[in-house]
Amino acid sequence: MSLNSSKPITIFFTAILALFFTFSLSFSVDLDQSLTYLWPLPAQFTSGNDTLSVDPDLSLSVSGNGGRSRIVKEAFYRYKAIIFKQSSSRAASVYIKNVFRGMRSGDDITKLSIIVNSDNEELQLGVDESYSLFVAKNSGHSIIGEATIEANTVYGALRGLETFSQLCSFDFETKSVQVYKAPWYIQDEPRFAFRGLMLDTSRHYLPLDVIKEIIESMSYAKLNVLHWHILDEESFPLEVPSYPKLWQGAYTMWERYTVDDAYEIVSFAKMRGINVMAEVDVPGHAESWGAGYPDLWPSSTCKEPLDVTKNFTFDVISGILADMRKIFLFELFHLGGDEVNTDCWNSTPHVKQWLQDHNMTTKEAYQYFVLKAQEIAISKNWTPVNWEETFNTFATKLNPQTVVHNWLGPGVCPKVVAKGFKCIYSNQGVWYLDHLDVPWDNTYAAEPLEGIDEASQQQLVIGGEVCMWGETADASNVQQTIWPRAAAAAERLWSRREAISTGNITLTALPRFHYFRCLLNRRGVQAAPVTNFYARQPPTGAGSCYVQ
Amino acid sequence: MVMMERREMNIWVVVLLVLFVLVEEVVSKKGGGGGVNIWPMPASVSHGHKSFFMSKDFQLTTEGSNYKDASCILKDGFSRFLDVVGLAHVIEGDFSKINASTILQGLNVVISSQIDELQYGVDESYKLLIPSPQNPALAHLEAKTVYGALHGLQTFSQLCQFNFSSRVIEVSKTPWTITDQPRFSFRGLLIDTSRHYQPLPTLKKVIDSMAYAKLNVFHWHIVDTQSFPLEIPSYPKLWDGAYSILERYTVADAAEIVRYAQRRGINVLAELDVPGHALSWGKGYPSLWPSKDCQQPLDVSNEFSFKVIDGILSDFSKIFKFKFVHLGGDEVNTGCWTTTPHVSKWLEKRGMNEKQAYEYFVLRAQKIALSHGYEIVNWEETFNNFGNKLNPKTVVHNWLGGGVAQKVVAAGLRCIVSNQDKWYLDHLDALWPDFYMNEPLTNITDPKQQKLVIGGEVCMWGETVDTSDIEQTIWPRAAAAAERLWTPYDNLAKDPVEVIGRLTNFRCLLNRRGVAAAPLIGLGRSAPIEPGSCYAQ
Repeated sequence: MSLNSSKPITIFFTAILALFFTFSLSFSVDLDQSLTYLWPLPAQFTSGNDTLSVDPDLSLSVSGNGGRSRIVKEAFYRYKAIIFKQSSSRAASVYIKNVFRGMRSGDDITKLSIIVNSDNEELQLGVDESYSLFVAKNSGHSIIGEATIEANTVYGALRGLETFSQLCSFDFETKSVQVYKAPWYIQDEPRFAFRGLMLDTSRHYLPLDVIKEIIESMSYAKLNVLHWHILDEESFPLEVPSYPKLWQGAYTMWERYTVDDAYEIVSFAKMRGINVMAEVDVPGHAESWGAGYPDLWPSSTCKEPLDVTKNFTFDVISGILADMRKIFLFELFHLGGDEVNTDCWNSTPHVKQWLQDHNMTTKEAYQYFVLKAQEIAISKNWTPVNWEETFNTFATKLNPQTVVHNWLGPGVCPKVVAKGFKCIYSNQGVWYLDHLDVPWDNTYAAEPLEGIDEASQQQLVIGGEVCMWGETADASNVQQTIWPRAAAAAERLWSRREAISTGNITLTALPRFHYFRCLLNRRGVQAAPVTNFYARQPPTGAGSCYVQ
Repeated sequence: MVMMERREMNIWVVVLLVLFVLVEEVVSKKGGGGGVNIWPMPASVSHGHKSFFMSKDFQLTTEGSNYKDASCILKDGFSRFLDVVGLAHVIEGDFSKINASTILQGLNVVISSQIDELQYGVDESYKLLIPSPQNPALAHLEAKTVYGALHGLQTFSQLCQFNFSSRVIEVSKTPWTITDQPRFSFRGLLIDTSRHYQPLPTLKKVIDSMAYAKLNVFHWHIVDTQSFPLEIPSYPKLWDGAYSILERYTVADAAEIVRYAQRRGINVLAELDVPGHALSWGKGYPSLWPSKDCQQPLDVSNEFSFKVIDGILSDFSKIFKFKFVHLGGDEVNTGCWTTTPHVSKWLEKRGMNEKQAYEYFVLRAQKIALSHGYEIVNWEETFNNFGNKLNPKTVVHNWLGGGVAQKVVAAGLRCIVSNQDKWYLDHLDALWPDFYMNEPLTNITDPKQQKLVIGGEVCMWGETVDTSDIEQTIWPRAAAAAERLWTPYDNLAKDPVEVIGRLTNFRCLLNRRGVAAAPLIGLGRSAPIEPGSCYAQ
């Protein structure tokens, strides 16, 4: 197996090809190869030398207090469809068997046992996502055989199912799904509790179906927080029953989400072990609010930030948060607070007057606004998350519960945790997906704990998030802007630091990363080529997915 | 607004940018255009101004229908219809608040023919009445065949919109009376799985989206120089030409694609491009190459070449039931035949020059295809070089440029139009108005000759498309061609500006259905240049 291209190839390309050759052998010949094609890499695993076939009629057997969960059962059928997606439908197979003659022998794995110890299905930050997975030939004697997933919660079971699905590959010689290198024993758990992807539905509206596809693909990389940047200055797509005119800030009447749509997103995500963290970005990114309530603007000619002087402004925030609290059950809520240009406050007479009356500078008014919004969120039993400018500007005043969301650059989380705050890492230089000039290895190498040595401080970094700002991403290209780079961050956030930070990642991670990108493609996810310098670029020429 | 490749900018880019600014207001508030938002535009449409609402358990009935639907083509089509209609928003309306006389309880489908074989020229006409004049609680769909009914369902689905006040699906502007049928029988899209392997789910999603635009031929350019992904039981080593062990299709996969497409009214035209685009064949059977150093075209002097073609086509005939098979025949560089000693000796002995050998090869391949019951499609070079020798059953597939169809039909052969300057999707500087305005019957006035143009096809060559970008390279430009091929000539816009709102609306509809159709503004598959509404980009 090699490329048929007769065109001149560069040295780099040759190196990749050589790599590819080594790795491809692993499927047919060299089962002892050192790389494990699981993404993200599990915490602990051992494998053997057996090849097992998986029965297309694979059955599910559940036990434990949480075994009967709908979440587990539906996930099983979802993964079963994924595992057998590459192969054809029954009807076509039967037809072909008749026409071309083919035989199948008995399969080694006919049953997947899932044991879930707890029946608590609450999905919150830090929920136990650990699992163990055992895949072996049933010797006939042992009680535990075939494939077994054991987890404390249903969400751990979901992670185990994902890993199991990645162990299964379609074998073109036998025309069956096989698990190579069995027996497998995997003991796994995430390194960080918060592993996020941010979607921006204000710059471009993303249809419900597209958001669902993205959530589905997040579960393939074991990401577990969808940070939904619902609104911003450009548009206000979400229905808010308390203040129904806010919806007039949508781009068009068709580009809107109903409350039921939002519930649907939250419940769809929960079925996949993914929390939804909603964001209401105040006071800076809120111009669209005024389309329905112009009073929220300082004036009709100077529309941002929200008018700090009016009670109405805080009434609206309170109304939005009250409505959202019913939908978004996650304990974290994002209040934004970034990029606040206070010029309008200075240049609008009534606001300026108010500042004078209250003896405030614009900077103090910014602080006043953010803290007041925090109080509202806390009163609704939410833990506030704010972008780092709030910390950079008035760290000592922030509510101690605040989770600071880094974005401007490196070295912020060390300062945040030194002051006792929690931190989410999203350094834009490496983890902003709209920065197309960040190659995968920069994304991969970014370390949330960089510069933080003390264990107690390390624990304050709850995780990290890659951000898909929507200025140039709509339904046509959002997926290939997200993938595969989001997966590079996902492994960073899930896998053991020492396992993925040593050695030459071109040898240890790149072939696995290629493999995972092609796996996404096989599952219908529009993940872009890995090795293009710029993200979401088309493949540069004909060739195999596994080398592009 | 920054355009990156100003030099390649087509005049349409400028015109459309300006136009979008002008129409943005209108388009954005009304959801895209004038009275009728159907793509492609039906042959005949009339409508009123009353709204109906779809019941939560909207039912399919088939009272008065002759079609038994033993293989559930209609039933599955109907459930897909319900799926796409309900995709955009959660339907949580309170029906007790809706006037009962405006609720549609279901759709009655009446199909007169029992046949569900899908073949070239199958009757695709339908008539859609919403509500039914006999029973105002139902919509009424009439068709000769189930495939016409499937088109009717597609049209119906485009009339359904989520109503944000009542939170149910609304069909506005009733009563609708739509009578429809395609202008051309062959409305194709070429997919190339040799330059990049496209996984099965990707192919299926492309087929789904074709049905939305009423395209009906999936031209599967399966193998080429770069890779040979398809399993051929007669010559199993051909599969060695796949890029990798994972980038392959089993015979069952191919049968699955055919079945999947057929259930959506789409035929699969398989292509075996000989003798020029066949280097990958020699991976498993090196004797198909003239020599190790000169690997293309297939060795004309070796009987084995034709045995393999016969084996492949024999296997094809069990899977690909469409009456046509595509034999390629394009871009044949015969250099290897003259420079390889044993081939040039063979030519000498036969008294052939290389051009004659090319003709010999193509005609022999044609005979093999005919022996397996196929009619043949060949790329236009075969016609340009030896048109009068081609089997009269040949359909000539134009690609090099405009003006070819008229020569082909004048010679009495059938033609498929795909002139690359307008209908090659990999030409990113061919913009949607170019696709829309490309008229297959240009300069063909004789009705007899017009009938020989069986249709057209847009081609998605795969050098720079894989799963990540195939959908937005195809859409929305393929849709522009789809209307050209479906809608009666007199109903087509004479100026593409007239359809900008309706096409934008169709693009946003594709997005809602999860199809990654690109913005209309800019070159093919361009990213949106700035924040904004789908209906304004």
